[in-house]
Amino acid sequence: MAEQSRGKHPKTGIRWALRAFWRGLREWCGDAAYERYLDSRTTRESAQPRLTPAEFYVERVNHRYSRPNRCC
Amino acid sequence: MKRAFRVAAWIVVAIVGAGSLAKIAVHRGEPINAMWFVAAALGCYALASRFYSAFVAAKLLTLDDTRATPAERFDDGRDFVPTNKWVLFGHHFAAIAGPGPLVGPTLAAQFGYLPGTLWLIAGAIFAGCVQDFVILFFSIRRNGKSLGEMAREEVSKRGGFIAQIAVLAIMVILLGVIALVIVNALKSSPWATFTLAMTIPIAMLIGLYLRFVRPGRVMEASVMGVALVLFVVVAGQWVAESPSWAHAFTLSGVALAFALIAYGFAASALPVWLLLAPRDYLSAFIKAGAIFSLAAGILLVRPDILMPPLTKFIDGNGPVFAGKIFPFCFITIACGAISGFHSLISSGTTPKMILRESQSRFIGYGAMLMESFVGVMAMVAACAMTPGVYFAINSPSSIVGSTADAAAKTISGWGYTLSATTMNDLAKAVGETTLLNRAGGAPSLAVGMAQIFSNTIGGPRLLSIWYHFAIMFEALFILTVLDAGTRVGRFMIQELGGRVWKPFGRTSWVPGMLVSSALIVGMWGYFLYQGVIDPLGGINSLWPLFGIANQLLACVALVVATTILIKMQRLRWLWVTVLPMIWLVTVTMTASYQKIFSANPRLGFLSFARSLAAQIAAGKIPAAKLVETQRNIFNQRLDAAVTAALALMILVLIVEAVVQWYLLLTKRKFATLHEAPYVATAWGANFSGAAHGD
Repeated sequence: MAEQSRGKHPKTGIRWALRAFWRGLREWCGDAAYERYLDSRTTRESAQPRLTPAEFYVERVNHRYSRPNRCC
Repeated sequence: MKRAFRVAAWIVVAIVGAGSLAKIAVHRGEPINAMWFVAAALGCYALASRFYSAFVAAKLLTLDDTRATPAERFDDGRDFVPTNKWVLFGHHFAAIAGPGPLVGPTLAAQFGYLPGTLWLIAGAIFAGCVQDFVILFFSIRRNGKSLGEMAREEVSKRGGFIAQIAVLAIMVILLGVIALVIVNALKSSPWATFTLAMTIPIAMLIGLYLRFVRPGRVMEASVMGVALVLFVVVAGQWVAESPSWAHAFTLSGVALAFALIAYGFAASALPVWLLLAPRDYLSAFIKAGAIFSLAAGILLVRPDILMPPLTKFIDGNGPVFAGKIFPFCFITIACGAISGFHSLISSGTTPKMILRESQSRFIGYGAMLMESFVGVMAMVAACAMTPGVYFAINSPSSIVGSTADAAAKTISGWGYTLSATTMNDLAKAVGETTLLNRAGGAPSLAVGMAQIFSNTIGGPRLLSIWYHFAIMFEALFILTVLDAGTRVGRFMIQELGGRVWKPFGRTSWVPGMLVSSALIVGMWGYFLYQGVIDPLGGINSLWPLFGIANQLLACVALVVATTILIKMQRLRWLWVTVLPMIWLVTVTMTASYQKIFSANPRLGFLSFARSLAAQIAAGKIPAAKLVETQRNIFNQRLDAAVTAALALMILVLIVEAVVQWYLLLTKRKFATLHEAPYVATAWGANFSGAAHGD
């Protein structure tokens, strides 16, 4: 986990804030979803072949838009 | 010392909040500045999030950060993804914020600025935020179960079934009414129609890019898409100026309704990655940008509020929609104060991504405060324009007439000065042929936003671009709700149908998919069509119906929450969910009764049907309009039946819940909580969910 590596960087300053914002933006819009999938415990522990980025993307959007996810 | 400073700071916040609220409540005479609204809202939100939500978290729910959340226990990189609280706040807010808090307050502005603003603030703090927060927490404790599943397990099977039907009902009515908002914004407007039509190929283009060129690279694809959308907003002007192109994109209400119905069917049946998902990405970026710009615009321009605190229409004879301030102000504001629909998001993806139980306070309670603030901004934008202009845009032609002269005469007669030249000049300045009779809230909000934006950048020269940017922004994310909702509705119908006949429930079976898509589109399409041909403007009957359905779902959520709290023995603080529930039931039942039985034909469905029938009998309806009038009579009776069905569901639910509560409280029934067992967290106290790039 990234928990251990984080101690090296001070959690202040403009550079840290920009990096945090950029990382948050990537997570919010979905750019980091595939990395999250590769990094997840289930994927690491599973013997199943990993999905390619395209397969993962299609599987995710199909799933996401099959239940209420946008409100009034 | 530090503590004394903190206490002093909160006393200042309390004084600013309460003082601003008092100022907008008692102010009379001269126009009041919008900054009082911003200060009142932000002051109250700060106090609510610091104190009331802390009380709910500590006393009512007793959040436990030593407990592992579903995201930690199941961490599968798909549904269960441990997510930083700020990112999750963004996700949750993007999911709950829809057109409701923009449209509702704009319509409720007909009562004046005061009632709507007070309910937006108080309703959010004591009802909406509480609902979102408690449902999120209970879903976290149940591995991210949905509201329907929780209703079935914790209340009763019947409760679960009512939840399911309520969701379907609200979906159908919501989609019908928001489609009507788009139709009223786009009819006879080649510029707006062209812009919105072009977003379809743009979405498909970025859909193909995300599927085949750079899979999953949402940000770069969205940036390209947003640039193209901004280009077509400008290009719309060239279309409007070219006679042949303008002719092709000038559509009537009925034509637009059928175009939207065809679009909804296509979006439900086409692969998600091609149209639905990329449109949603585009819409999320533009929504975030437009909401921030509106906030920044209001802060920079600090407009005066020209609408009076109360108008004479609190008596129930308002031109935008009929009905007295109680209950219709509360029904109309809808999502900006409390929205049952949010409980589906709070029991959807959010509980599966949260890191700690304590973050449910920031995300559940906090995101709804922000939604309420969007509602307050919409109220400011609507009330910052001259009241006469507001009423001219939002009133149907049957009340104010369809020409600028007639509208100016009627509206000036109400005491809100308006000249025909003002309306003609304004329409010209925003690049439209007319702005009259555009009920639905979108165009008046767009005019309000355009005036605020153009005072910040560009001046009057850019008013038309800003207006069409605002229309595109509203229409784009209404369309996103429309296509996402149609698809979800299709799955619900397939699930319900699958209980009767198994193959129908298989989502990959093409005939089942086509039939269920046609069914859901047919249902909301019918409401849309009825709204378009309704002589009273459609919004008058459909928006209250939507408000009632949405609050029915909020009742389901609060009943589920109260039942769980009784089982958890949190009896002392039960009023936190019970009082908002009693209020909602009172408001919804009163509104339902009046919508069905009121003797005023503009308010009561049945009396309007009777008055139309009487007109036919007296031979007052020309032969050419006979069929349409008969259809209108049928529609009014249908609306009465739908309202009655919704009210009946609330009654059954409440009786069911009260019986359950009685059995639990008198120990006649054993209280079984369906919580997931306690598992201690393995994450350190500082874990923030950041996994990459640090």
